Amino acid sequence: MSKVKPSALPPDTMIGGYRVIRKVAAGGFGVVYLAADQSGQQYAIKEYLPASLASRAPGALLPQVAPEKLSLYRLGLKSFFEEGRALAQISHPSVVTVMNFFRENETVYMVMNYLEGASLQDFIITARDLKQSKVFRESTIRSLFDEILRGLRIVHQHKMLHLDIKPANIFITDDNKSVLIDFGAAREVLSKEGNFVRPMYTPGFAAPEMYRRDASMGPWTDIYAIGACIYACMQGYPPNEAPQRLEKDRIATALSRLRGVYSDNLIEVVEWCMSLDPLSRPQSVFALQKELTREGERRYTKLTVAEKVRLQLDTMVSDTKKSVQKVTGMSVKAK
Amino acid sequence: MKFSVFQVSRKGGRDANEDRMGYCYTRESVIFLLADGMGGHPQGEVAAQLALQVISAMFQKEAQPELPDVGAFLTSAVMAAHRQILRYSIEKDMLDSPRTTIVAAVVQGGLVSWIHCGDSRLYLVRQEELLARTRDHSFLEQQMAAAAGLSFPERVNRNILFTCLGSPARPVLDLTGPVALQQGDRLMLCSDGLWGSLSDADIAYQLSQKPVSESVPDLVESALRKAGDGSDNVTVIAMEWETPDGFESTQGGISTNSINDGVFASTVQSGWLDSSLEDLDDDAIERSIAEINEAIRRSALKKA
Repeated sequence: MSKVKPSALPPDTMIGGYRVIRKVAAGGFGVVYLAADQSGQQYAIKEYLPASLASRAPGALLPQVAPEKLSLYRLGLKSFFEEGRALAQISHPSVVTVMNFFRENETVYMVMNYLEGASLQDFIITARDLKQSKVFRESTIRSLFDEILRGLRIVHQHKMLHLDIKPANIFITDDNKSVLIDFGAAREVLSKEGNFVRPMYTPGFAAPEMYRRDASMGPWTDIYAIGACIYACMQGYPPNEAPQRLEKDRIATALSRLRGVYSDNLIEVVEWCMSLDPLSRPQSVFALQKELTREGERRYTKLTVAEKVRLQLDTMVSDTKKSVQKVTGMSVKAK
Repeated sequence: MKFSVFQVSRKGGRDANEDRMGYCYTRESVIFLLADGMGGHPQGEVAAQLALQVISAMFQKEAQPELPDVGAFLTSAVMAAHRQILRYSIEKDMLDSPRTTIVAAVVQGGLVSWIHCGDSRLYLVRQEELLARTRDHSFLEQQMAAAAGLSFPERVNRNILFTCLGSPARPVLDLTGPVALQQGDRLMLCSDGLWGSLSDADIAYQLSQKPVSESVPDLVESALRKAGDGSDNVTVIAMEWETPDGFESTQGGISTNSINDGVFASTVQSGWLDSSLEDLDDDAIERSIAEINEAIRRSALKKA
């Protein structure tokens, strides 16, 4: 797309009594700023400014919306409100807090607590570059996700799904708390009339049902993403995308390489969460929490020599297949 | 109970998709639903959505886990949907009521029964043979039925229906079944966007060649292609039946045995009606913001 992104508000712009310090992020829905109130207290302020529907010239305050896009713009606004409304009811240390909501510059703003720290994604990238057998320690993974699941449970209790859980949306604060952020994708409204914003999904973390329109989504959809995040914490890389897994599923093989490094139980939990069939996953956060916090001795079953050989062969065979396909220009599955 | 199911809805060349589809099941009973909101009247998509919500809600209430009387359920649920649509139009002071077709099928105890009103169809295909299909409540198809064998001029408009849900006149419903299902039988519900472009023979043949997860998207694609830019909404939901002791499916089908008594699964989306309908004007925006800030205050108080 050649379209220019709408410009962010420049530093020192005043909005709703807050002073913009700088832009911290921009996404499909709008821009997030670091801002401060008169007392100097810092906040994160999210501005509704969908890049596909609105434009704003550098230095300008008011976004421009083409008349033919106005109804979609308003529809998107509605989902922005829904996000605010849902978050407003939730007060939990593991879920980002909304402090204020106001209208200005012909758009709306959501004020949230400003978190200092880094995303889980940043941590994974740093950790995997150390090139050790473990990306994260198992106890770290268990306690991190225990916190996140406590927050997610409250979210689900409010009849809301996050629908975009991924390491980039799990924030680890400098005082070691993990917080679920960015509920912007949680609303599907924008996808209703098709053309412009699909229900947003992140490859690797989105459950197969997210790819199908009208398929049944539920707590198990977020649970798939949690499984994928744990997977990323163990492997250092995101898992294959769901459609790819439906063709050929390599998750089990990939996880078996981690046997002996992580406990059998943790590996099983990830496989359980990432079942392609939604009904085969833990159906509630509670069910998953119970498994993840289970005390008791952990078993580590190392791969046998035979299994290692088989794994290697498997890689070789698939590599050969690939190169044969490349040479012959043929694909096993005509798609 | 085991079956594979696939559903898809495409907008075609229209501005909006007024088709709705879905299925729900308990351990012992499953219902498939499809509604096509009618043009020429306001808010067809609302009528279609309401119909699905009412019927699926009644199914959830009465299938415990089986429906005591499938035929009676189908009739009463469709009538309840009709009344709900009328009630909606009265509450909203509408001059004309929204309207929709409906086709619904229940499978329970290895038997299928279905009901329909309008021109959304059900096809039952066994080994490439079209075993049954619904007769549209259109003037065209009624004439054909009255004088089978005579050909009628093309210009009889197939789109003119004499009954539907939501009209002031009592809807005409056709209830069929129960029919015993056999291993591999395909049951398909579709809107006129599909059958308007493809012949029955094509549909029956294509449906039986591949698993529903492949044949359904293929069918929809070919209907869209054939209709071109002006294509109507095309919506299809189809299932392939597996007898209880048949071979294990490799298609990742649905087995209702894994769910317990009292559990209910549904793909019918709810919540459409209260939120998305009225346009978001300035007052509504102010109201939303006030509500959110009120909720923030309440949460903050709780915390303190």
